[in-house]
Amino acid sequence: MDFSSNIATQLNAGAILPEGIVVVTILLVLICDLIVGKSSARWLPYVAIAGLLASVAALWLKWDATESLAFLQGFNGDDLSIAFRGIVALSATVTILMSVRYVEQSGTSLAEFIAILLAATLGGMFLSGANDLVMIFVALETLSISSYLLTGYTKRDPRSNEAALKYLLIGAASSAIFLYGVSLLYGLSGGQTNLDAIATALANGDGGESLGLAIALVFAIAGISFKISAVPFHQWTPDVYEGSPTPVVAFLSVGSKAAGFALAIRLLVTAFGAVSEEWHFIFTALAILSMILGNVVALAQTSMKRMLAYSSIGQAGFVMIGFIAGTDAGYSSMIFYLLIYLFMNLGAFTCVILFSLQTGTDQISDYSGLYQKDPLLTLALSICLLSLGGIPPFAGFFGKIYLFWSGWQAGLYGLVLLGLVTSVVSIYYYIRVVKMMVVKEPQEMSETVENYPEVRWSLPGMRPLQVGIVVSLVATTLAGILSNPLFTFANNSVINSPVLQSAKLTQPIAKAGISETSDRPIVQ
Amino acid sequence: MNLAEGVQIVSFGILAALMIAAALGVVLFEKIVYSAFLLGGVFISISGLYILLNADFVAAAQILIYVGAVNVLILFAIMLVNKEEVFKPISGRWIRKAATALVCVGLFALLSTMVLATPWNLAAPITAPESTLILIGKHFFSDYLLPFELASVLLLMAMIGAIIIARRDFIPDIEAASSDQPLQTVWRLPERPRELTPTQGSSNQRK
Repeated sequence: MDFSSNIATQLNAGAILPEGIVVVTILLVLICDLIVGKSSARWLPYVAIAGLLASVAALWLKWDATESLAFLQGFNGDDLSIAFRGIVALSATVTILMSVRYVEQSGTSLAEFIAILLAATLGGMFLSGANDLVMIFVALETLSISSYLLTGYTKRDPRSNEAALKYLLIGAASSAIFLYGVSLLYGLSGGQTNLDAIATALANGDGGESLGLAIALVFAIAGISFKISAVPFHQWTPDVYEGSPTPVVAFLSVGSKAAGFALAIRLLVTAFGAVSEEWHFIFTALAILSMILGNVVALAQTSMKRMLAYSSIGQAGFVMIGFIAGTDAGYSSMIFYLLIYLFMNLGAFTCVILFSLQTGTDQISDYSGLYQKDPLLTLALSICLLSLGGIPPFAGFFGKIYLFWSGWQAGLYGLVLLGLVTSVVSIYYYIRVVKMMVVKEPQEMSETVENYPEVRWSLPGMRPLQVGIVVSLVATTLAGILSNPLFTFANNSVINSPVLQSAKLTQPIAKAGISETSDRPIVQ
Repeated sequence: MNLAEGVQIVSFGILAALMIAAALGVVLFEKIVYSAFLLGGVFISISGLYILLNADFVAAAQILIYVGAVNVLILFAIMLVNKEEVFKPISGRWIRKAATALVCVGLFALLSTMVLATPWNLAAPITAPESTLILIGKHFFSDYLLPFELASVLLLMAMIGAIIIARRDFIPDIEAASSDQPLQTVWRLPERPRELTPTQGSSNQRK
């Protein structure tokens, strides 16, 4: 008896209220679909959106909660996790907006799509706050398995099958590698699964600088890099992005990536605090490779989806600069950039979806002369792409400035210069699309655009698409000029998170310890 | 060394040898059915190791789930899709095999060096608990409550996903489609596939 009453007082289950709302929404969607049948597809997306927005509101209420640790330190609901959980939930919201028409057009059922998408969101949200190795792994698998299912959702299309199979196989391998690394961490700490306990055990014991910890670090980073598709682990990205339904691609490129970054911050800063020099070095290499390869290969793409896939690899490289900086400004610039990236990337994907629904193609050359036929689509896509490239008045510019500024402050001059050069490269391929749409004379119009049907917003599922375009357009345009609230939000979420603050205090000590013993080889 | 320790060491040796032999068989046999049966042998040996580690519940679960469910499923899949197919041997196949062997041996060397070189943080010898079931249950309802509950959502989603992938597609009703939109019977991505490169084209023709 006293076992249960003891536990109940320590659970602090209110910390996962936002996730609870998402779970209830999943069940609601499934049960309503079961009872009402196919006609429920008209209103089910709105139920899901309402649930996600309620979850975001619940996150807002949890802001600055006095007691952030829940479930006996298994889950940490601090402000950092709230920021990332909010990003994941918002990206799922926008994804649902753009998916209604698309899924219906592809002939598959909408309710299960939404349910699986919500499950992926749930996994991402739990991953952002997980503070325990078991919790991290289960959340990661929830996110991954739902993503595999979504990738293969249009099962009649061989491209989708191929994408799902590739993603499943590579994902399973990377999960296994991640699990191996994490199990080494469990062994090195003498049987702890809690991240804080592992950090203390590693600091006290002499496993601190052993070969085992190095291998655990490399394996864990391999698993994380797969999620954020950093360069040596990116091979799945282009094929999966090309073959999956486009809304899924949008979610993978924003929500899944944000969850991966949250995992990276929490796992590496807490558990691998003793080897922070090493993982900074590894991530510097990953960032350099991602920025160069992502942006250079994107130049050569002819398909819009593939181009956005490679550009998202490059964008992940930019975000890593903030992570490597390791300062308050660095972390908050990551959150700020991911928030902006959410709107501009999802906006771009919404436009691509609208275009492919209208014309059935996503070749870049088919976009030429679109300005004559659909000004709204052209405007929205141009602004989102220019913002992704970092052209001044839009939000992406301010996000990139903040990232590069924080990197410069932390002394990462080479990395920031490389970031500047590669973003110039990225502007080239983004502008190419804009030029294609806007500058072409009417007689240079592509055949597809000449046959472009008039957009009928009254068709079922088109209204959410329009809302998605307009919302992301407004957010991308205004978030740059009125970015102060977002800045404050990102800064506060970092400053109020004890995880990062304590890491900052211990880091100089750890660095001093390393420099003292730097002549000692790592292998003992 | 008393009798109990001796028995433990001997049974560990037998189990390890069994497992390695079975695992090698899984990889090296040409016939996939043999590999599948030997995979069951690997799982059973692993569960023997769990028993040596005092984890009786995990051992039972290992046999029930891996041998009873996963392995049987693999066998079913093999039996159902038992299509005789003769593959053309790829020229220079030994280069790939040698490269794979090299990578595997290197990885093995690295990991075994790591196991031997790392000062493992071994606590005092742990006495075997009275009942592992009670211990596991206590963990499930205290510090691992959240992963335990999340796993249920994960399994629900996996089940729904499996049903979606395996079920027959419905034909859209005429009246649902009649109103405004054209009748859709495609079940495909709206985007057109890219122009196929020659290699893919030839593979399509072979079908």
